[in-house]
Amino acid sequence: MAEETLLTDDFLRQLINVGEVDILVGLRTHNNAKTIEPVIRAIQTGILKCFPRERAVIINADGGSQDGTPELVIGASIDDVWSVSKVYALRTLHSISTRYARSPEPGTALRTILAAADLLRAKACVVVSPDSTTIEPDWLQRLVRPVYNDNFDLVSPIYRRQKFEGVLMRNLLYPMTRAIYGYRVREPYASEFAISGRLATDFLTKETWNDERSRIGPEICLTITAITGKYRVCQSFLGTKAQPDRSASDLVAAMRRTVGALFSSLDSDFPLWSTIAGSQPVPTLGAESEVILEPVRVNRKRLREMFATGVAQLEPVFRSILSASTLSELQRIATLEVSEFNYPADVWAKSVFEFAASYHKSVINRDHIIQALVPLYRGRILTLLRENRDGSGEDIERSLESLCGEFERLKPYLLEVWADRK
Amino acid sequence: MPLKREAGWYKDAIIYQVHVRTFFDSNGDGIGDFHGLAQRLDYVQEIGVSAIWLMPFFPSPLRDDGYDISDYKSVHPCYGTLEDFKTFLSNAHDRGIRVIIEMVANHTSDQHPWFLESRSSQDNPKRDWYVWSDTDTTYSGTRIIFVDTEMSNWAWDPISKSYYWHRFFSHQPDLNYDNRAVREEMWNVMKFWLELGVDGFRLDAVPYLIEREGTTCENLPETHEVIRELRKKVDDQFPGAILLAEANQWPADLRPYFGNGDEFHMAFHFPLMPRMFMGLRLEDRKPITEILQQTPEIPASCQWCLFLRNHDELTLEMVTDIERDYMYDIYASDKTMRLNLGIRRRLAPLLDNDRRRIELMNGMLMSLPGTPIIYYGDEIGMGDNIYLGDRNGVRTPMQWSGGWNGGFSTADPESLYSPPILNPVYGYQAVNVLSQKRTEHSLLSWMKHIMRIRRSSPVFGSGSIEFLYPANHRVLAYVRQLEKETVLVVNNLSSAAQAVELDLRRYKGNILIEMFGRNIFPRIGDLPYLLTIGPYQFYWFRLRRI
Repeated sequence: MAEETLLTDDFLRQLINVGEVDILVGLRTHNNAKTIEPVIRAIQTGILKCFPRERAVIINADGGSQDGTPELVIGASIDDVWSVSKVYALRTLHSISTRYARSPEPGTALRTILAAADLLRAKACVVVSPDSTTIEPDWLQRLVRPVYNDNFDLVSPIYRRQKFEGVLMRNLLYPMTRAIYGYRVREPYASEFAISGRLATDFLTKETWNDERSRIGPEICLTITAITGKYRVCQSFLGTKAQPDRSASDLVAAMRRTVGALFSSLDSDFPLWSTIAGSQPVPTLGAESEVILEPVRVNRKRLREMFATGVAQLEPVFRSILSASTLSELQRIATLEVSEFNYPADVWAKSVFEFAASYHKSVINRDHIIQALVPLYRGRILTLLRENRDGSGEDIERSLESLCGEFERLKPYLLEVWADRK
Repeated sequence: MPLKREAGWYKDAIIYQVHVRTFFDSNGDGIGDFHGLAQRLDYVQEIGVSAIWLMPFFPSPLRDDGYDISDYKSVHPCYGTLEDFKTFLSNAHDRGIRVIIEMVANHTSDQHPWFLESRSSQDNPKRDWYVWSDTDTTYSGTRIIFVDTEMSNWAWDPISKSYYWHRFFSHQPDLNYDNRAVREEMWNVMKFWLELGVDGFRLDAVPYLIEREGTTCENLPETHEVIRELRKKVDDQFPGAILLAEANQWPADLRPYFGNGDEFHMAFHFPLMPRMFMGLRLEDRKPITEILQQTPEIPASCQWCLFLRNHDELTLEMVTDIERDYMYDIYASDKTMRLNLGIRRRLAPLLDNDRRRIELMNGMLMSLPGTPIIYYGDEIGMGDNIYLGDRNGVRTPMQWSGGWNGGFSTADPESLYSPPILNPVYGYQAVNVLSQKRTEHSLLSWMKHIMRIRRSSPVFGSGSIEFLYPANHRVLAYVRQLEKETVLVVNNLSSAAQAVELDLRRYKGNILIEMFGRNIFPRIGDLPYLLTIGPYQFYWFRLRRI
């Protein structure tokens, strides 16, 4: 149920004008003027082309843009779709916008969108990233159709990615979520997804919205809610995902948002996940995950240095987080040169689990725990780069499957450290 | 005695479309007739219409319900005599009701003496009264209208061994308007009826009068020339008589039929009608406002004719493919309901007999710019019979009472020209004039009421229109204005109650008076005017500065 305070009077007035809808497309923005227009155009074209008879609305939850992003959303006319794509609009397609805060908060933005979906009784609610410049109109159909026609509750995306893109997802979030919750959802932290009205309403009524994890990483909480709530989950292949330029400092923030939220969920969901063993696939529509084999330039030496420096400098921190054997193994790895560097999957899985257990016990400040994981993650990336430098798409898939296998195999170890660690 | 024809009478008129055959049978032969129609003029007067448009009543083989005429200057014996017609016309005029008749100018029946002569030999003097060709490939850029029945616009005549042109059924050969003699003779026909006192003509199938190679053979400049010529003769010799165009075209193509006020007085707005139905089911004003935005201005003396249903199928020629598919799925899911590019159903069944939707659609019909036409029986919510062939399902006997044959005829039911509607929802025992007259809240009573209110203000017939575009797209709102009279119309196209804010600042200081209940609503101020409006409800407000 939407809280009164979440929606401004002006936004509520806009929602009254929109009325009940079948499809709601949500856009969480913050200074996305450079990319928003093609995204909007693709959404409009997708709706008009694939869902001409459905009542639809585009809702922009803006976190205080200074570059006119909301104005671009509101001003996008469907007449332009007609002139460019020759797709005719049978009915009115509203684009409305609300500023939910002066600074971006992913959780509040999603909550605003879900509250709108709840009030407008949307059958399907889609969230699209405003910087997905590779979006095609068909994405709408691929996300919405499973909810709208096939009664799925969560449609998670699968992308065509470059070989070394999405590594956080592939090396940590996916394997860990899969091992913990027993479902093979490739993008548990998705920037594009679709959910059913009932899941939107259910998620909206969770009491976790004021928690840090829902505030900063609501997507992963949503995936977990869908899995643990026995909602029908599927994956849909979308296509190439554009990778926004991100500086190295973004990694810490990204890990806080994603890994922090994932670790945090383990606390409350323990009774659920502690009994799950192994994993099961989820229905996948369209192609499976695809890898583009384009060469990438990565400074391997620097990654090694960051790992080794981190292991050395953070030793006191690691002593309170990691087991002696794991720390000793990391210290050994830190002595390896780039050419022979290897942070094996089982050690990586154990490290992550020990971090999760420490997070649970709050052995030190939780933020610091996540921050301390960053240099180790860099070491894991270096291993990945080395192992797969000349690997084919199949090789990378095989290596990922093996990593996931290690996470699943070592799950009893997580239970052990979860209970024991003081 | 002919009614005095004030200039512009048609702009404030409400027209009732009726077929003599369907209305009332006075002699018990199972077919409606002019005596019967004359007997029922009190009813027509009582419902509040000011004109009758009669479908063809001329001698005809009746292979297209009279649109295949074999004699233009007489009355089909089934319907009575010319004297009967004159009596009917006089009685109608006595009640202040004008009469518009059909002028099927584009084609005749293949049984018309003109065609029989024309086909008799290639050198017959009337040979050139029709369009003949040695091949069936001439005018190949011309579309076929009756796609369900006709393969070509040419038909082979085995008698004169050549092809004749027909835009409609092959038994309806097109007249050749390049022939002066044809034009003269058709004017003679019109003059004949005007001299008897009719008040105007509905010209059938106007865009197709002239053919030219390399064109679509529709809306040609030469066609307009023919019309201008007729109009001038009408104005000169019978001022006040009107010409109403049946031209199923897009608004931009229709506009030329008004010329500079020197062609048609009125024309049907075909593209608007399906969009009203579409807007209602989409719960979205977009189709309606869009088509009216595309509708060009017309000369001040001219007028659009608006209708919800008529004797034909609900035509979907003037919609896009995506709109047509939608209309078929929503309004004609049973393919039996479809005919050509349209839907052969009456108003009430189209709207699931939902009184609120019927009222809303009639409310829009009466308040949008134009002269409304009500198809006989729709004022009581008559149903249809989709199992009768062609468009006969919407041409069943008028339901006067719950008695024998619905009060239409004393004949044996088997001998009626068409079986009456008998089903428990729309049958004459459930839906009839007599029972609805007895009920204050019947559809018939409501229709009389709304027509009375429309007649109370000339703003509906002659006023300008300005659309308001409230952010709530389910609400269609517009302001009609004529001199000092201003009426605000607000329609809720949705099945749910709506809140809407209207920007009425330019009318600040006025109070709203709801025209049906005459209740006063709050004064307009600086803030958006907030209204809540029930499902499918509509308001007509008269603005008054007091």
